[in-house]
Amino acid sequence: MTRIRLFLCIIAISLPSLAAAQTMNFEKAGAMLAASCGKDIDDNCRGVNLDATRLRECLGRNQDVVSAKCRTDYPQALGAIQARITARTSLVKLCNWELNRFCGEVRQDPVKGLQCLLESTKKATPNCNKAISAAGYQ
Amino acid sequence: MRWTSGKLRDIGLLLGALSLMAWPTAAARAQTATSTADIIEKLAVEAESDLDLPALRQQAADRIKARADAQPQKRPPIAPQLTKLPQLRFDVVFDQDSSLIRPASYQTIGSIADALTDPKTRPYRYLIVDHVESAGRRDHNLILSQRRAESIRDVLVNTFKVAPKRLQALGLGEEQLQDVNRPASPANARVQIIVIGKFETAEPAKPATPAAATQKGGAGAKKKKQ
Repeated sequence: MTRIRLFLCIIAISLPSLAAAQTMNFEKAGAMLAASCGKDIDDNCRGVNLDATRLRECLGRNQDVVSAKCRTDYPQALGAIQARITARTSLVKLCNWELNRFCGEVRQDPVKGLQCLLESTKKATPNCNKAISAAGYQ
Repeated sequence: MRWTSGKLRDIGLLLGALSLMAWPTAAARAQTATSTADIIEKLAVEAESDLDLPALRQQAADRIKARADAQPQKRPPIAPQLTKLPQLRFDVVFDQDSSLIRPASYQTIGSIADALTDPKTRPYRYLIVDHVESAGRRDHNLILSQRRAESIRDVLVNTFKVAPKRLQALGLGEEQLQDVNRPASPANARVQIIVIGKFETAEPAKPATPAAATQKGGAGAKKKKQ
């Protein structure tokens, strides 16, 4: 009984951190795609460069011949690249309040605006901080 | 006593479970942090250059056309100024005689993309330079290296959304060997990412409207007259 409680406790502790976790970085996504689908890309998608849309289309079209490992992993790897890009593009919207309040003078400049935002994380709302984490910036 | 040993066993179980959960992510993070952090450290630096890329390409093409400097070992570099700029070299594997990046290099391209989209490198512009080891026709190698440099740029821009204005591509074929003593060495096929300057992102000042310009001119003329 104690063990079950302990196990539930571990799950409860780990869940919030998983929810706020960073999206996978590009290096890891690239490595995953190469490890799981390198041979399948060579065999079936020769001529397609590292292009998320075209690779997804080609591997999807060849679902019946690509390896089971690749079939499982390619949506995850290509999805991770897209997830990080989306997290970064939606950052301005999700941290709009912080950008206006703390970075009003530089917010029009994407580089200075982002730098200012990252310097203001202690004053930022939890939602904005979560968005910064998802974008892989902290 | 039985209660104590049971408690100890539970604590052990808890620590074991936590370490099992933490280890893979910690290991992955450490691995990623090292390589990407290294790249960022080397590429997030100030540099200034006044490169004329079309002129450099033309210079390389002219030299090949004129059949000058036939011996690879004796060729002077086309762009010696590039060697003085902050840079990093990467092994990127392409399909033979093609600009198609092999899956074996996806991780490398991913780590370059991570570094170039980091807030620390965002204020800078970069030049991607591809080289080809000395083998086959020089003119063919020059064109191939340009296509390969552009292929890397395209992937960084289209797949990883690095701002296109921050990246330029230059192929130098076998005209600027990195290991002059061994022209056929794979070391001569390495890709360079070179810092070439600041990236100006601020909106340029809006040009004055003709009416405003006239008014300003008029005011200025009036001032002068006074």
